[in-house]
Amino acid sequence: MKVRIDADLCQGHAMCALACPVVFQLSDEDGHAFVEDENVPSEHEAAVEKAVRSCPEGAISTS
Amino acid sequence: MPQFDSEAAKACPVQFDHHTEEHARHWPDEFRKLREETPRAWTESYGGFWVATRLADIVGVTQNSDAFSAHKEVDFETGTSTGGVTIPATGTTRGIPNEADNPEWEGIRRFLNRNFAPRAIEERRAKARELTAAVIDMVIEKGEMDIVDDLTSPLPALVTMEIFGFPLEEWRKFADPFHRMTHTSIHDPRWEETIRGLDYFRERVDEEIAKREVEPKDDFLTMLATGKINGEPLTWQQKRDLSFNILAGGVDTTTALTSHALLYLARNPQDRQRLIDDPDLLPFACEEFIRYFSPIHALSRTAIKDTEVNGWPIKQGERVLIAYSAGNRDPEAFEDPETVKIDRFPNKHIGFGSGMHRCLGSFLARMMFQEMVSEVLRRLPDYTVDEAGVRPYPSISGVNGYIAIPARFTPGAKVGAVIA
Repeated sequence: MKVRIDADLCQGHAMCALACPVVFQLSDEDGHAFVEDENVPSEHEAAVEKAVRSCPEGAISTS
Repeated sequence: MPQFDSEAAKACPVQFDHHTEEHARHWPDEFRKLREETPRAWTESYGGFWVATRLADIVGVTQNSDAFSAHKEVDFETGTSTGGVTIPATGTTRGIPNEADNPEWEGIRRFLNRNFAPRAIEERRAKARELTAAVIDMVIEKGEMDIVDDLTSPLPALVTMEIFGFPLEEWRKFADPFHRMTHTSIHDPRWEETIRGLDYFRERVDEEIAKREVEPKDDFLTMLATGKINGEPLTWQQKRDLSFNILAGGVDTTTALTSHALLYLARNPQDRQRLIDDPDLLPFACEEFIRYFSPIHALSRTAIKDTEVNGWPIKQGERVLIAYSAGNRDPEAFEDPETVKIDRFPNKHIGFGSGMHRCLGSFLARMMFQEMVSEVLRRLPDYTVDEAGVRPYPSISGVNGYIAIPARFTPGAKVGAVIA
């Protein structure tokens, strides 16, 4: 699984970091989310799916 | 997307006024009915506006900042205003950056963001913890307190003043007028007097900024005094509006959230015990309380061109009330939305708003909420609320919170924390 955050849509709700803090990190500059590695370790796939469904802006997608 | 008939909806306006006490007491039913029957309702109140109650529509409005303006136009000569994020627009104070459009918005947010980002807020946690311990110390031996007056109102005020760099002993003079402003209806004869109560804060901002210009410190007042937005020093008006907005945003919203949560936990001891037994649940419970109680009840936008939201045509000049509290109970977005589930997750609530104007201080709010609730559960875990004395805000159009929540608990010992 790969995960992607649409930076134009992300507003820093931080629900993804609550769902899966290993994959989603928050910027020290504005609190918006980013991923260091778009490849999701298999053990975190379920949590990343939860993050997708937690984002009020619909900013996270997986493939 | 099926096309919605906006003209037909406008021909059948609904009775709606979010400033009334009737609305404050019955909003969940009122919004549920609107959402089910007329989710894009037109009302003739306050010159006419749309009421959006579905989460997808509210997010759609806020994400389209090219079509929907938050800008407030102030006429200082007549003392009137138009636009902005409240219906109706009142007074001459413009909240920035939330009542600004681009490019102004972006410059101001860049100026502010770093101070409210997760790392900066984590660095403030230890101080917030100490201040929470100090305010609890003031009541712990008595065995009784008012949850609002003695905890949820002082603590956010103290932490916010600490960020500004104001002397903390003045906190009541800062917090009380903002607290009063948020629960006084614009229909209340005391409204004008309430607004004048904010003058003390404005005067103190001017005084302290003048001092920082001569003697800079490491605080937010110094940033206002010496900082730059888009390469330019702040104007006097920007300093006033920005400081007003940061304090208004900081003091009464977290007060309301934490008041709701502590009242809920008094009424639902099984959930209180779950949080005592499993403190890792607290961040999830925090999000659920934000969803369910939605302290910022509703804001608004103005269409600046003809546009469409999910097939709903909106004309240039029309205003839209974006009822976050209604969206947060939309069954299309949340299972069993009228029930508090402290471990609810996923939870895509919009209690902090959505789109580019989403709350700047959300990390600060969550941190202060966690510190206050944790301290209460640790030091007064058996508190009970005197229901007869509970007084909710008579008007929730600004913030949905409480004036008073009297509580009793087994007295405990001070830990020796002081406000300094």
